[in-house]
Amino acid sequence: MSPPTQGIWAIVLLVLTIAAAAVFGYRVLGLYRLLRLGRDESRVDQPWRRLRDEIVVYLGQRKLLKRPYYIRGVGHALIFWGFLVITWGSADLLLRGIVGWQLPFTDTAAYAWILDVFAVAVLVSVVVAVFRRAVLRPPRMHRVPEGYVILTLIGFLMLTLLVFESAAIAATRDELGQLLRVFPPVAAALAPLISTAAGPAIFAGAWWAHVVTILAFAVYLPRTKHLHIVTTLPNVFFRSSRPRGALQLIDDIENKETFGAANVRDFSWKQLLDGYTCTECGRCSDNCPALATGKTLDPQKIVLDIRDQLLREGPKLLADAKAETTAPAHWVATKPDELWACTTCAACVEACPVTIEHIDKIVDMRRSLTLMEGAAPPEAQRAMTNIERAGNPWGEARATRGDWAEGLGIPTFAEKPDAEYLYFVGCAASYDRRNQRVARALASILKSAGVSFAILGAAETCNGDPARRMGNEYLFQLQAQQNIETLNAAAVKKVITSCPHCFNTIANEYPQLGGNYEVVHALPLVKKLLAEKKLTLTGGAAAEIVAYHDPCYLGRHNGIYDAPRDVLDAVPGVTRAEIAPHNRERGFCCGAGGGRMWMEEKMGQRVNHRRVDQLLATKSGATKVASGCPYCLIMLEEGVGAKGVQESIKPVDVLELVAARLETS
Amino acid sequence: MKFLVCLKQVPDSTVRVKVAADGKSIATDGITWSISPYDEYAIELALEHKDGDPSTTVSVVTVGPARSRDALRQALAMGCDDATLVTAADTVGGLDVAKALAAVVKEAKPDVVLCGKQASDDDQGLVGPALAEALGWPHVGMLTKIAAVADGVELWREIEGGHEVWTAPTPVVGLVHKSAKEPRYPSLPGIMKAKKKEIPEKDLAALGVTPGAPRAEVVAMEPPPQRGGGKILKADGDVKALAAELARLLHEEAKVL
Ligand code: SF4
Ligand code: SF4
Repeated sequence: MSPPTQGIWAIVLLVLTIAAAAVFGYRVLGLYRLLRLGRDESRVDQPWRRLRDEIVVYLGQRKLLKRPYYIRGVGHALIFWGFLVITWGSADLLLRGIVGWQLPFTDTAAYAWILDVFAVAVLVSVVVAVFRRAVLRPPRMHRVPEGYVILTLIGFLMLTLLVFESAAIAATRDELGQLLRVFPPVAAALAPLISTAAGPAIFAGAWWAHVVTILAFAVYLPRTKHLHIVTTLPNVFFRSSRPRGALQLIDDIENKETFGAANVRDFSWKQLLDGYTCTECGRCSDNCPALATGKTLDPQKIVLDIRDQLLREGPKLLADAKAETTAPAHWVATKPDELWACTTCAACVEACPVTIEHIDKIVDMRRSLTLMEGAAPPEAQRAMTNIERAGNPWGEARATRGDWAEGLGIPTFAEKPDAEYLYFVGCAASYDRRNQRVARALASILKSAGVSFAILGAAETCNGDPARRMGNEYLFQLQAQQNIETLNAAAVKKVITSCPHCFNTIANEYPQLGGNYEVVHALPLVKKLLAEKKLTLTGGAAAEIVAYHDPCYLGRHNGIYDAPRDVLDAVPGVTRAEIAPHNRERGFCCGAGGGRMWMEEKMGQRVNHRRVDQLLATKSGATKVASGCPYCLIMLEEGVGAKGVQESIKPVDVLELVAARLETS
Repeated sequence: MKFLVCLKQVPDSTVRVKVAADGKSIATDGITWSISPYDEYAIELALEHKDGDPSTTVSVVTVGPARSRDALRQALAMGCDDATLVTAADTVGGLDVAKALAAVVKEAKPDVVLCGKQASDDDQGLVGPALAEALGWPHVGMLTKIAAVADGVELWREIEGGHEVWTAPTPVVGLVHKSAKEPRYPSLPGIMKAKKKEIPEKDLAALGVTPGAPRAEVVAMEPPPQRGGGKILKADGDVKALAAELARLLHEEAKVL
């Protein structure tokens, strides 16, 4: 049927559409101008990758379809895809109503079918969503009335659509050719309820109700979290192209005057766009180990605090470029306690369906606290001073860094300049007694496989990861430069690490400062050595069940989930257990990342104790819990000790299990 | 109020100290130097004053070799206003150091001079009292807190199981034991500003000090004996025998009972 916009009605529709577009445009422009208050940052490198993300994450809804959100994810995807189809139809309705143009496909039977089916799917999803909000009440989802308004609008759109489609069928039921047409199933099923005579009036009524609802939606949208249907598009496109584990470099740090973020103007425009894009779904918070163990940190709140402050203070700042913004000490909503509780585990980043970058914001604010105010917690300051003065956060003597290797016949690079690999040992394995055993295990594995390697000994210094994550970018850069100089002077090309933090920093962050090496974590390397049969293991030791704990900086930050498991599976006598459902990309942090290893943890339950609880709850019969990270090992050791289960379940590094089964020739 | 903090650069506490070839000094190649910890507390105490009252100025001075400049920079980075380096060889004795400091103090005319109660390298605790003596000023030791009061300062001293509060007229010399907060971590703008600050240099002669022959001499240095491994007593049921054996060992071998 042709649209009910004869004569004056086309003009009415035109005026309404222009008015709605103007309000929408005005509101979006306002948001855009606020966004421009933020710091500049270029986010246009790798355009093809960005377009691919757009297809996978935006169109493909990839980040919604994740454990444990599959059902909700499918619901959202249906609403979203339905929306795309229906938006095409809406554009067509408006165009046809005003100027009589028709968009391609909209008159095909196939499109009518798709529209029809999606309308019902969306309706069902809306009902489910209302049910979840009203009855199931997921704990972390902000239940503001806004959600109901939006759901009602969407539901009403779908209902009116179905009604005018069926009215159209009813009104034309006597027309010639009806029999030859293929009607969309639901509208056709509803059509008999409408008499032919009433058809045109019902059609016109529902049609207008539908069109006006579309316009109302456009006007309402920029004021709501549902703006994400628009902002997700740029937010995904402009997502960080850095490796996930790499923090942002402060370039030319010696000549800058302010560091980090103390107010909304210090965040980059992209960080502010993140705020507009947050859907308030709470997935980040659901997965945050700090929040789960009773800390005040809540990643969703961090994102929304920044957004709210922008909306509150932004207009004043736009009017007067010099206007005072809220000073860091009075940062209205986010308190230092929240910021220092973050382990940079990336569970939030992993969970967020719209690619929001929580860690960058937290670290930016930590940078302001540490670099501008010297206001890191005292234990963190101690760790930083230790790194500065002794080259390790524990404050152990610089000169004894290589002592763990004494008497093992492990050469330094000075002694063996042509070694193929540098084993970058890291502070933990150099000084912590428990982790020295892991370093020795790796050394014996490398020897057994005939790998040519050497260490730096006392010439190695902390890679800088804890300093950087405590917000001390300056100290990080000093440490990194020092190591890069040492590595370059020794002409190092390939680096092995047994610590995921060393791995992440050297592989993903040193390139920012000109240090480019082929870096491999020990576990993928061992996997390769096993596959190449350079390493043979014997089955001397007793059979045992070993649970695997995913270190955040191997797993989520660097996507290394399988290699450690493959190595475990290859160890004779070992049966691997999972700490489900908190495994792989949902692995739960040990609590030590982000510099937390050196900070006190007084609030709530200790993260590592929760981790041991999860481990015990699986009742897998595991007698060992294996990891691939020195921090995890220290935290798990402490955790099983505190829980009094150290006799029944022993924390180990996967490397130790391998080393115990080396063929001794 | 005007503070002057006297500090000394010492081997950092994380350094594994080794005896040099001469057998009476420590090997200094490649070691990290830092401000002696009690001096850091003294700086913190003065800076806490400055936090509360921005009209406060905090100056620092050291007597030592050229490398001591780094320690002064660190103090500037923490927030001190200016620094003076009096260059002198490492071997200059404590009394001469005190004389040189006294000359600097007379020029700067501070209300309060603070020193750490002792330097962490030789632990002599000589320079502070000697400086007070050279100046003829009162001197109070073991400070943990200073508060300005009418015509002077209130000084908190740590004593066994509590603290004493003294008052003293200014000018006064105070020897610092600890500050309420840990010494502050310098901000990056602070570090950058400190890098650009001029640090005037004086030598002993310019201050009218001619170093005399040292009144004390280190004759020999020796590393402490290696710690032996611990002994583990196996508990095989007979707790009484075990306790007896432990008591015997503590008495005869460890000689602590
Ligand atoms: S990185 Fe981990 S600890 Fe930090 S906010 Fe995100 S989920 Fe929480
Ligand atoms: S930041 Fe992402 S995961 Fe967290 S509430 Fe917002 S949209 Fe959801």
